[in-house]
Amino acid sequence: MLYFAGLRSKKILIFTFIFTNFNTKNMHINLSSDDLAFRDDVRSFFEENKIKAGEDYFSWRLGWFEKAREKGGWDVPKWPEKFGGPGWTPTQHYIWEQETAKANIPFDLPFGLGMLAPILMNYGNEEQQKRFMPDIRDRKVNWCQGYSEPGAGSDLANLKTKAVLSEDGKHYIVNGSKIWTTLAHVADWIFCLTRTDDSGIKQQGITFLLFPMKQEGIEVKPIITLGGSHTVNTVHFTDVKVPVENMIGEEGKGWTYAKGLLEHERTGLAGLSKSLVELEQLKDNARSVQRGNGNLMDDSSYKSKVGELEIDLLATEFTELRSLASAAAGGEPGPESSILKLKGTEIKQRIAKLTVEASGIYSSAWGDKSAGPAFAKGGTAGYLNSRYFTIYGGASEVQKDIVAKKVLGLTKGSSK
Amino acid sequence: MNFELSEEQKMIQQSVERFVQENYDLTNRVKISSEDPGYSKEYWGSMADLGWLGLAFDEEDGGFGGNQIDTLVLMEQFGKGLVLEPFLANIVLGGGIIKRAASPAIKESIIPSLMEGKLQITLAYAEEQSRFDIEDVATAAREEDGGFIINGKKSMVLNAESADKIIVVTRTSGSQVDENGISLFIVDASSEGVERQNFPTVDGLRASEITFEDVKVSSEALVGEKDKGFKILQAVVNDAILALSAEAVGAMEVLYKDTVEYTQQREQFDHALSDFQVLQHRMVDMFMEYEQCKSLLFRATLETVEDPDLAQRTVHALKHLIGKSGIFVGESAVQLHGGMGVTEELRIGHFFKRLLVIDSQFGNADFHLDKFTNL
Repeated sequence: MLYFAGLRSKKILIFTFIFTNFNTKNMHINLSSDDLAFRDDVRSFFEENKIKAGEDYFSWRLGWFEKAREKGGWDVPKWPEKFGGPGWTPTQHYIWEQETAKANIPFDLPFGLGMLAPILMNYGNEEQQKRFMPDIRDRKVNWCQGYSEPGAGSDLANLKTKAVLSEDGKHYIVNGSKIWTTLAHVADWIFCLTRTDDSGIKQQGITFLLFPMKQEGIEVKPIITLGGSHTVNTVHFTDVKVPVENMIGEEGKGWTYAKGLLEHERTGLAGLSKSLVELEQLKDNARSVQRGNGNLMDDSSYKSKVGELEIDLLATEFTELRSLASAAAGGEPGPESSILKLKGTEIKQRIAKLTVEASGIYSSAWGDKSAGPAFAKGGTAGYLNSRYFTIYGGASEVQKDIVAKKVLGLTKGSSK
Repeated sequence: MNFELSEEQKMIQQSVERFVQENYDLTNRVKISSEDPGYSKEYWGSMADLGWLGLAFDEEDGGFGGNQIDTLVLMEQFGKGLVLEPFLANIVLGGGIIKRAASPAIKESIIPSLMEGKLQITLAYAEEQSRFDIEDVATAAREEDGGFIINGKKSMVLNAESADKIIVVTRTSGSQVDENGISLFIVDASSEGVERQNFPTVDGLRASEITFEDVKVSSEALVGEKDKGFKILQAVVNDAILALSAEAVGAMEVLYKDTVEYTQQREQFDHALSDFQVLQHRMVDMFMEYEQCKSLLFRATLETVEDPDLAQRTVHALKHLIGKSGIFVGESAVQLHGGMGVTEELRIGHFFKRLLVIDSQFGNADFHLDKFTNL
């Protein structure tokens, strides 16, 4: 038996996992009776609120979040109690992640809920919190994130989109371009990093602004990705007027606000719970491919690759749990979130690649009206788009620089 | 030992290279691919006029008497532009079967029109259950009234949409996976009972599922001996592997060179990307994989020209390496181009897709590693 514990101040939350039963293939995590009760509660909530046949998706979706809210902040699991969140323990969060990955719950977008809201909570004034957070919580306003620029990808601080304060001091005039802006074409608002001062080092002089997308001077152009889909865009700003009350925190301090968030974002990008579900799906798909008297999972090289993938996933899942436990003990996720992003995205890419391999000759068929088993349709598009995972949110090479510098203390990392 | 091309081959190489440079920029390729028939009839005509379609046919059949090395020269250059014209389906696959096994009458009726670019043919070999096993054939041809009746379904048939004639791999005896008992027939695509379902492929080409329902053919439609089709099929598949590998080598060259160029231009963290050692090493790896693939391509091609039977193991080795390295080079090019690499806007993504498709045709990397280690 092996276990480890993370301690949280005051309550002394003992975060214990016990590995038992070494004879079976899967490890077991022993949950406390409270945790088991919570898990059952979550499961029955999902079961009771499933979409019914013929029900309108969008009204079901909004109703679902309403009911989740009545459960005590289940509509905003990651928000702190102070802002209406459920105040779960790390174990409860873990259970939630596991269960949501398996269940059929309504889609949700991270931009307002998981990216902007924490910044509003930490750096927004009370008026801004009151103005923006209720609509985010009610899923009424779609947000997009204006960070990357054509010349500022991995080197995000190099951004050049200019915001100039008007003479009367009432608003900023924004000019410049953003790229890779996810869902900008359906967004109502954007939270945007702009440059108000370029006299100092590039991390200084960055200002965090919020403004509506549907206004004159904003042009959104689609970027079609290799998988053939339109989710990202370029966004051009020409003399866009932004009232000064839409600035978060202080002028020139935007980098500090955004940076903390990027670490949150990276943890989220690992997507491990979903990968666990997808791994099982992958095995089912491979079993459906007949080979001789057996199936593709009897093929030794394919089986080995699935096995290696599962081993990495088992380890990474616990790296995430350790990170959660230390976050519970000490606060913010730190540089270990880079490890999660590196491993988690690589795992997602490998699942996608193995789906392509399982598709065999049909992996080259394109589109719904082509040929092959159901899982093959879209499998290759998924793989092609998955190449993005090791690029966005900080490319893997940059993540490794961060680990080298911040964790290993190596000062000669290539990105300074 | 001599790895130099002949003067004639060098001239062809230069001429194809120029053709690709002049006609195959990304915009034009996307346009040709999206319009029917998915390739340029004008270009196909030029290829015929320039003699490229006749290179690999025997002189007695009216060709230039070339071999797999000539095809390598063409395909490597085609790979640098992701040429859409159906050279593989017509010349390597369909033409390969005809020149090896067809009766003089069939040869005479097919080869001249193939070389002139006036006839479109293809080879239908794969089936839903066969995956990469070419001997796994369920489509049946049974003898009746001095002819044959074909029933079954073929998968992922290249160029079938345009094909006037389809060479179909059928089972005439034995169990579904026996090498013996496979027979080849040439069938008019317009025959009663032949139905095509056409769709695009990941790389901008086209393929079809074809159903054969009680399709009647005469005994003259049999190509080669009854039940003895496997050896011919295998030889043609080996040629196709060599041709696709040459195309892949051309595509890999574009990918590594584009990446080297891009990283020298793109600046992040106040440096050109190419200043970062971790990226330099990745590019060195891409370059090495490309060179290694080229070496094995030469080796497998030369061995095949000398003795196809002895070359079998090297052909497996080649297709394994091409699959594995092609995807490595493609993924690396995308990674080093960053976000731009994952878009349709740069050509590297299209080259990457083609390499991905090449891995899935005629057996992927795993399949050929298994064959190689068991031979």
